[in-house]
Amino acid sequence: MASSSGAPRVPVEERLFSLVLALLATETGLTKAEILSTVQGYRQKYTMSGDNSNLERQFERDKDDIRELGVPLEAIAPLGEEGNNHNLRYRIPRGQYELPDDITFTPEEATLLNLAAMVWREGSVSAESRRALLKLRALGAGGGEPVLAYAPRLRARDDAFDPLRTALDKRVLVEFSYLKPGETMATARRVAPLALVQHQGRWHLYTHEPASDFHKTFLLRRIVSAVKITTVPHTADELDYSAIALGELDELWVANTATVRVQPGSDAATRLLKRRGTSADGDDLAVHYTDLNILADELAGFGPEAVVLAPAELRTAVHARLETVVNDHG
Amino acid sequence: MAERRKPAGAQDKLAFLLALVPYLIDRDRVSVAEAARHFGVPEAQIRDAVTLIAVSGIPGETHQYQPDDLFDIAWDALEERDEIVLTHLVAIDDSPRFSAREAAALIAGLQYLSSLPENANREAISSLQAKLSRGSSASPTRVAVGATDVDETVTLISTAITSGRQLEFDYVGADGESERRSVDPLRVESLDADWYLRAFCHLRAAVRTFRIDRISHPIVTNEAITFTTDDVTLPDTLFDGSSATIVVTIDVTPSAAPLLAEYLPEAVGSASTGTLVQGMTRVTMRVPHYHGLKRLIAGMAGTARVVAPEDAKRAVADWAAAGAARYSAERLR
Repeated sequence: MASSSGAPRVPVEERLFSLVLALLATETGLTKAEILSTVQGYRQKYTMSGDNSNLERQFERDKDDIRELGVPLEAIAPLGEEGNNHNLRYRIPRGQYELPDDITFTPEEATLLNLAAMVWREGSVSAESRRALLKLRALGAGGGEPVLAYAPRLRARDDAFDPLRTALDKRVLVEFSYLKPGETMATARRVAPLALVQHQGRWHLYTHEPASDFHKTFLLRRIVSAVKITTVPHTADELDYSAIALGELDELWVANTATVRVQPGSDAATRLLKRRGTSADGDDLAVHYTDLNILADELAGFGPEAVVLAPAELRTAVHARLETVVNDHG
Repeated sequence: MAERRKPAGAQDKLAFLLALVPYLIDRDRVSVAEAARHFGVPEAQIRDAVTLIAVSGIPGETHQYQPDDLFDIAWDALEERDEIVLTHLVAIDDSPRFSAREAAALIAGLQYLSSLPENANREAISSLQAKLSRGSSASPTRVAVGATDVDETVTLISTAITSGRQLEFDYVGADGESERRSVDPLRVESLDADWYLRAFCHLRAAVRTFRIDRISHPIVTNEAITFTTDDVTLPDTLFDGSSATIVVTIDVTPSAAPLLAEYLPEAVGSASTGTLVQGMTRVTMRVPHYHGLKRLIAGMAGTARVVAPEDAKRAVADWAAAGAARYSAERLR
């Protein structure tokens, strides 16, 4: 009987591997029909004159899985037939697949890259850094001695992080609700994501807002809805937005100074004094900050150990927080 | 993406195959044990992968996967000596490029590491970044990490670790008491912008975790250390919950719930097990002392509230009231 149940089962990784090999080996590309009828893992399920729509869907998913690994699987339309999706030819151009020959890593660099990958311990980024290490191993770079004295870790726990990264790669607009501190209602935003940066331990999204033509920075923890990835592409220039975003946050941090009087020897005194850029005039510390509300939360936590002298807005914010806590625990 | 069905791991197995082939090409002959060590995987995984590679190839002229269209290995070498020798190659010559996200993950990791005194060599780091960008198949996703506040204490700790000498410093513990500690420094750890020292504390005769921004007046002593990382096991979690014996009940807004676990690391308990009461998640956790709890809750005005026991509520209220009182007492200059 010619049913697919009679065909030997081909493991998924064998089908994916065979597809990559077939597409690397072709210069001119293979059509979908050629792939489905000849490549290991598909050909066993292909029917010459029947309905192959299940197999076609499987091929679509496989393409996505392969591209996710950074394999430049391309679809080219025959000359003069652009826009006709039927005769697309698929291939993996060798030059874009292979690591350029002149890229090598010294043992010191390999050690540093190992440590850089280990910085990510959880979530999707961690899986990606493990894959990057695998490719480094393919080059023959060893693991290097693990640096025992250090175990630095980065995290990306905000729900918005992964969808925003996807939108960054796709260069499309995103939509989400954003709750500004002090406001009771979240507002809907539609922006072009340009960079994700961690500044002072918190993830920020740097964007361009088409409606206002302004660049705006959002704190991921204040995104209160799911992030909707639209299909609308944006045409932002190719600038180093990560550096621009970090630069703007740093400028803000330099420009904002709070004067905080601390109890000598207290936890507040020790920790605030140790912050980058803090200067002391007796027990009065000049503390830099980027976000008034975040600093207000931190300072409220210090209770009587710290009192804000300036600016007035911060003073009011911390005082109000402390009163709220008193009332909530009465 | 959640609706996608794919067997877990097939994609990872593919990535492994694409990395293993060029590694084997570069080596005429390598033992399964050596390859397993190099990739940090079990030997069985290497044997499975090699067996699959050996029967894989391209459809070829005939579309029939003829022997010349397939990889081949020296089977007797594998079966008799557990050695891998590729005897015929197809389609692949070189290592694959990094994906945009893989390159971005390593670049962001490097930026973060550049905060450490050892890695202050920005030039080496930026040349590595450039290599990663050039070696990726699309321009790396724009994900970056700014400089974090690593103070000179880290340099001092590093000196103490490499010279094998004890470190001494003032530290306010979980009970709020400041004491002079002598420790054998073991490792510097961090979570985002927060840096910690894990060390054997001679005062407590146990491994302890110290927040580096709470360490004051540190010095490297002339005393040799008594313990290294070889002598003690560092638990995976930064904080040991064995001294957490007081059970507290806290109502927290769902979005702020993870903060509890994060900023009260001494506490034991899971925020996810909470039940929803009037839009707030009710959680119970064990804490060692109210010293940390009152600071945490005072910093979460409007989003977290202690509901029991009474003396925990009072500790928080007193702390916040003492803070508020300073605003009535102290005039603006």
